Amino acid sequence: MAKLSRRGFLGQTTASMATIGVLAAVPQLAATSDLPETSAAALSTAEMSAADLAGPLVAHVSDLASGEIALLVGTQEVIVRDPGLVMRLLNLVR
Amino acid sequence: MSSHREAPEISKDPVADNTDVYAFVSPDRPNMVTLIANYVPLEGPAGGPNFYEFGDDVLYEIKIDNDGDAVEDITYQFRFQTDLRNPNTFLYNTGRITSLNDPNWNKRQFYSVTKVVENGQTTVLGSNLACPPCNIGPSSTPNYASLAQAAVHSLKSGETVFAGQRAEGFYVDLGAVFDLLDLRPFQNLHVFPMPAAPGVNGTDNLNVHTMAIQVPKAHLTRDGSNPTDPNDPRSVIGMYASASRQKARILEGQGKIVETGPFVQVSRQAAPLFNEVMVPLGKKDLWNALDPRQDKLFLNNTQHPEVSGLLPVLYPGVFPNLAAYTKARADMVAIFLTGIPAGIIPGFQNFTGKTLADLLRLNMAIPPAKNPNILGILGGDLAGFPNGRRVFDDVFTVELRALAGVTIPLVDPSFTPDAAASQVTDDVEPSDINSPYLKSFPYLGVPYDGFDNPSS
Repeated sequence: MAKLSRRGFLGQTTASMATIGVLAAVPQLAATSDLPETSAAALSTAEMSAADLAGPLVAHVSDLASGEIALLVGTQEVIVRDPGLVMRLLNLVR
Repeated sequence: MSSHREAPEISKDPVADNTDVYAFVSPDRPNMVTLIANYVPLEGPAGGPNFYEFGDDVLYEIKIDNDGDAVEDITYQFRFQTDLRNPNTFLYNTGRITSLNDPNWNKRQFYSVTKVVENGQTTVLGSNLACPPCNIGPSSTPNYASLAQAAVHSLKSGETVFAGQRAEGFYVDLGAVFDLLDLRPFQNLHVFPMPAAPGVNGTDNLNVHTMAIQVPKAHLTRDGSNPTDPNDPRSVIGMYASASRQKARILEGQGKIVETGPFVQVSRQAAPLFNEVMVPLGKKDLWNALDPRQDKLFLNNTQHPEVSGLLPVLYPGVFPNLAAYTKARADMVAIFLTGIPAGIIPGFQNFTGKTLADLLRLNMAIPPAKNPNILGILGGDLAGFPNGRRVFDDVFTVELRALAGVTIPLVDPSFTPDAAASQVTDDVEPSDINSPYLKSFPYLGVPYDGFDNPSS
């Protein structure tokens, strides 16, 4: 999973989803991000299959207080912890 | 009702609903083991225009534990893909289907079989394998038996596989069982008495979707040996089947659905009836999501089966000894969660170790019976259930009698079963199935066609 910058992620998403096609189209999103990683190894776009890159990508937050975001693409799941990003996503729908 | 619609969530997802699992030494090829996993319960034959099929988005798996830790060592994965020749017609077939390649067959399904072993190595055993069509009727699918037989595939690696519609092989008086266990032959003794009557097979004239694979025995043992000694632990395997879906499903609108994320198990099946009647409603969905090695969570339910407590209430005065027995049911634990150790039943064991797990345990060293008894081990036939499960085994009667206490003396000789314990039955037998079992792979009968069975 390519590392995401907050600005790029929030700027391109709807309230609930981002498309992997958008990530591929915006080069700065492949650069080093300030998202802390807490668990499973992130995949680079080079490691993802063509089917994965075709989308969709689903960002799932089941517990707002935890700040954990599960990113689902292809058959992969990457969990990142970013309470600030979770709050910004929540504010988008308020 | 071995496991048909047995849990709240999976009852809404028939395509991923495990119904029955079978494991037995093939009677016509005793060097082979046949493993069968059925899905899509209670299919009415006249199920058009979108006839029943496997799910392209479901990961179906048959899993084998061969070293007694309740963790799969070998997995056979089945994935399906539907091919629609002409999307501009509503028809499943535009004419008579006389072969698996018939251009009149508009909506076909193909599958791959992949073997995954413990170290993660995967091998595609077969791909682009054809399923047979559903059995529609004499105009659409004449000579159906031979058409379906053409969908039996022999793989280069030594297995034989089939995936498609078959006649439901599990027989039970479904209506009576879930009407407060109102067994028709004994309903004169029921708490709500009615005159005794013969049993009725509630699953007759219904179909199911079957995945079947026949495997050389030596492919399944932990060391590649050929099992010949029933006392050797290497002769015993534990088997279960499962279905999994991707974690996220998005309805994008305009009929488009996308799914993403890792596969999550939504259904599993091993011994018949476990989730059906041993696990309470509040935990059935959880049970379906767990691996068998986590079944210690259900130890108390197994030691104190709810059905055993209900029998004396539903049949007043018939089960006094069962009613008075309050000890933990070690026999139920052996049958369902560990296998039966050596020394309990002469000449038999299917013990897989101390890890509590609902698995179908098959001792591959016990040869097929020359004269099978549908009551399996209870009837003195060591080749039958709970030594694996053959398609014709009367698993309902066997388990009902076990729940009624007939197996308690195996672990507690001080207990005397009630006379009724060895008599209870739903009075349904293989002869009550209109489509007979086959003597060869895939053993389950030809599915019922919709033209001749329009209202099942």
